[in-house]
This record gives sequence, structure tokens and C-alpha cells, in this order.
Amino acid sequence: MFGSRNDVPLDKDASSRFLPWLIAVMVYLATMSLIVALTMNKLANRWDQGLSNSLTIQVPAGQSPAERQAIEKKTALLLQEFKKIPDVKKAEMLTDGELNKLLEPWLGKDVVLHDLPIPLLISIELSQSSARTLDAVKVLTAEKLPTASIDDHQRWLGNLLGLAKIIGTVSLLVVLLVGGAAALMVILVTRMGLAIHRQVVELFHLMGAQDAYIANRFQLHALKLSMAGGFAGLLLAGLTIAAFSTLLGQANSALLPSFTLTATEWGLLLLIPVGASLVAMITARLTVLRSLALMP
Amino acid sequence: MDFKPLVRFQDVHLRYGNGPDVLHQVNLTLEPGSFHFMVGPSGAGKSSLLRLMYLAHRPTTGRLSLFGRDVSQLDRKETSMLRRRIGIIFQDFRLLDHLSALENVALPLTITGMPLEKVRRNVSELLAWVGLADNLDSKPPTLSGGQQQRVAIARAVIGRPSLLLADEPTGNLDDKIAERLLFLFEELNKRGTTIVVASHNEALVNRFNHPVFKIINGEVRLIRSAQTIEQNTESGAA
Repeated sequence: MFGSRNDVPLDKDASSRFLPWLIAVMVYLATMSLIVALTMNKLANRWDQGLSNSLTIQVPAGQSPAERQAIEKKTALLLQEFKKIPDVKKAEMLTDGELNKLLEPWLGKDVVLHDLPIPLLISIELSQSSARTLDAVKVLTAEKLPTASIDDHQRWLGNLLGLAKIIGTVSLLVVLLVGGAAALMVILVTRMGLAIHRQVVELFHLMGAQDAYIANRFQLHALKLSMAGGFAGLLLAGLTIAAFSTLLGQANSALLPSFTLTATEWGLLLLIPVGASLVAMITARLTVLRSLALMP
Repeated sequence: MDFKPLVRFQDVHLRYGNGPDVLHQVNLTLEPGSFHFMVGPSGAGKSSLLRLMYLAHRPTTGRLSLFGRDVSQLDRKETSMLRRRIGIIFQDFRLLDHLSALENVALPLTITGMPLEKVRRNVSELLAWVGLADNLDSKPPTLSGGQQQRVAIARAVIGRPSLLLADEPTGNLDDKIAERLLFLFEELNKRGTTIVVASHNEALVNRFNHPVFKIINGEVRLIRSAQTIEQNTESGAA
């Protein structure tokens, strides 16, 4: 008992009771924001990697079945030419079944494609994307099928990546704002503690306690409360993510993000409560030292 | 001989904020090992004078030296170190209710980083000396006024201060206990501690042969000097 107790009775303050809860909420928000930032980054990489090495060529099929058949023949020949280009890993025309699957959400099942002027689609996969390969594909296409158009996905991929980047940046900004708000709260709570225990602090000061000794009492208290609140917030965020992962797993969509985190990412998340606790500790110390500097 | 006063006020004025002078043109010197009383009515400035001596305030003008150092020249670390040589007994004791008697008395030692085992030994001995051997783990609210006062005294002297300042230490005591308390201060004084006791009880003060400063409206006058006491003692003996 002797010597183990905090000389300044901060544990009994009302502010000591609500600080861990506030820190828990802050850490929860910061963790969720960081997870969003990490997920958006991974999703953007996935889209980028998945689409930057692929091309889609759209060939207008013509109005009549005869026209369509003629274009199909030309397309088949073009596919043979494409396969001769170095770095073209795969070049194939989408089958009726595949086209049906793509159109199913809009047109329903059992559509007879040949009755509609649906364009033919060629999917090309490259082993690596280079300007030279793209040029070769474009030249060949213009020569053999002048009416065809090439989509290298760059326009909408660029938009998506831009959006992902903005969401990631905003999430990181939220982490910083939450950190700033937590620091302001700690300043407020520390000042309240100083006001409540003004006489005790003055007593220590007059007995010859150095400023660092008094500041230690407050900073260790802030560290203890922030650690408790911080890890509670992290645990809550972990549970939320687990719930999200389960729901998204059930949705089974390639477009939706996956919330599976790597060990490094978990380590990064672990830094949030640790970082929040350190910010709280340093903030409390500086606040006390600043106040003590005003005493003679 | 190298004469270095323990406390020296030179033309000191003290004023709180923009208010009037609380202390006016104070000039006094306390030698090491001396025992002085400060008397005067409530609000005369006794506590303010003590607050200057334990460095809770700095003079508005004038010069104050403690232990041979001009206090206006001290940095924060030096000020802390100087404060550790001063024991204070506050009028309201200022004991910490959440700590035991032992922990309260130990505070001046724990802030210096003294090993806890040594602190415990020293504090236990001192509390036994002031008659509180059975109350080591008692919290201040469970102690009587007299016991609390003894804890406050023990806390003030545990660090073996060179200067002991007591602000109305006899305020709430009956005459007999107050007299015993002053005898206790005399014991400490014999061991070399310089003592300054502020009291409004002049009758009690007059029973002791020590120099007396009187403070009225912020002005400090020596109304009984060491020389007068010496002369009185000699004439009495003759």
C-alpha cells in the first residue's frame, strides 16, 4: 500500500470516470476510419491490377443475322492476329452465354441475342501492359474492323481510383481530427484535475516537489485511463469488422471490399490505442507543466 | 566571522494584483538557529509574510534573501531545492485525506525520491515521537484535531528543515496544549532549526523568551529583541 498510491487523488474525479469512455469512442472512430482507408487502398489496388492488364473491344454486330455472321467471321480472324502479338496472353470473344449473363440484370433470362443489335465483345488479357502492345492492338483493330471501339478501362478506372483515394485521404484526416479531439479532451480533463486538486498541487509545490514530479502524477493517470479506453475501443472496432466481414462474405460480391486484414495491418491498428495513450500522456504532462510554470 | 543571515528582507513590499500594499517596507533579518514570534491581529499580514518566506509569493518590490540567496535570482530547480529546506505548518494543516498519517508525513521525503524502506523507518520513528505510533495507518478524517496537528508538525519536520514556519499553530488549541506545542518547537530550535511562529495570541507568546515582531497594517516592528531578552535575563539573575 505504502508508496503505491497516487499522491494526488485523481481516481475519484468525475472526469476520470468519463475519460476512458470518450477515449474508447475516439479510438473506435479512428480505427474504423483507418480500416476504411486501408480497405479502399486495397480495393483500388485490386481494381487497378485486375483491369490495367485487360482490354475490351466492342464490335457493332449489324442489324441483320447475315451481317452479324460476317462480322463474327472477321472477328475470329482478328482474334488469331491478336494472339500473334507478344504480351497478349489471351484474346477471346465473349460467348452468347457470357453476354446473356452480363445482360441478365437488365434484360432478364432467355433473351435471344441474335434478335437484338447487341455488339460482340472481345476480351483481351495482357501479360503486361505497355504502350507498344496497346498500339499494336489498336492498329490491328482499326485495320481489320474499323467500326470497333477499344476500351482500356482507364477512364472509369481513373475515376474509381480517384474516388478511392479521396475516401482514403478523408479517412486519414478523420484519424487526425479524432486524435486532435482526444488531445483537447485530455487538456480539458487535466485542467479540471488541476483545478479540483489545486490545494494538493500547491502543497507539493511548496514542499519542494519539482514540476516533473507533479506532472508525472497526472501523466500516468492519463496514460492508465487512455490505455483502458483505447483497447476497449479497439476491441469494439474488431467486433464491428468481424460482423461486417461476415455480412460481406455472405454477399459474395467481387466488387465489394474484403475486410480481411494482414498481420501488418493489425499491427497498425494496434498502434491507434497505443498512440492515443501516448498523446494523452504527453498532453497531460505539457498541460500540467504549463500550469505549474505560472506558479512562483 | 562570516555572517550570513538565514532570512533577510530589504525594503520589501507585497501587493496582490492591483490592490494596496499588504506588507509595507519590511526590513528584517533572521539569524540561523534563532526563534522568532510574529504577532498581530488577524489580517495584519502575518500569513503574507510567511508566504513570502516559504516562496509561495515573491516580493512586489524590494529584496528577499533566503539561505544567502536572492530569491529573485533563483531558477525553478533551485527554488524547489530551497523549499525542501523549509518546513511549513499550515493553519488548516492541509493533510491529504486519502492518505494515511504515515503517507502524509512521508510526502516531503517521497518527493525527493528517498527509498521507501528508509522513508517508512524515519516516518514511523517520528510519528512515535509525536505520540502517534498507534495511528500510522489512520486517515486524517478519523483523527482528532490535536492528532491532525501533530501529523502536520511531523510532516513539517520530517525533512530536517533548516527553517520551520508555523502559521497560527496554536489557533485551535487550549492554552495548555498550545504551550506544550511551543515547548516542542523549542526542542527543535535547540537542535538547530530556525523557527518562526505566527500567532495572534500575545499572552501565550509573552510566556516565552524569544524575540517578537509585531505586524500592524502591513508594517513590521521588532517589539522585543534578543538583546532586550538578554538584558532582562541578566538583570533578573542579578
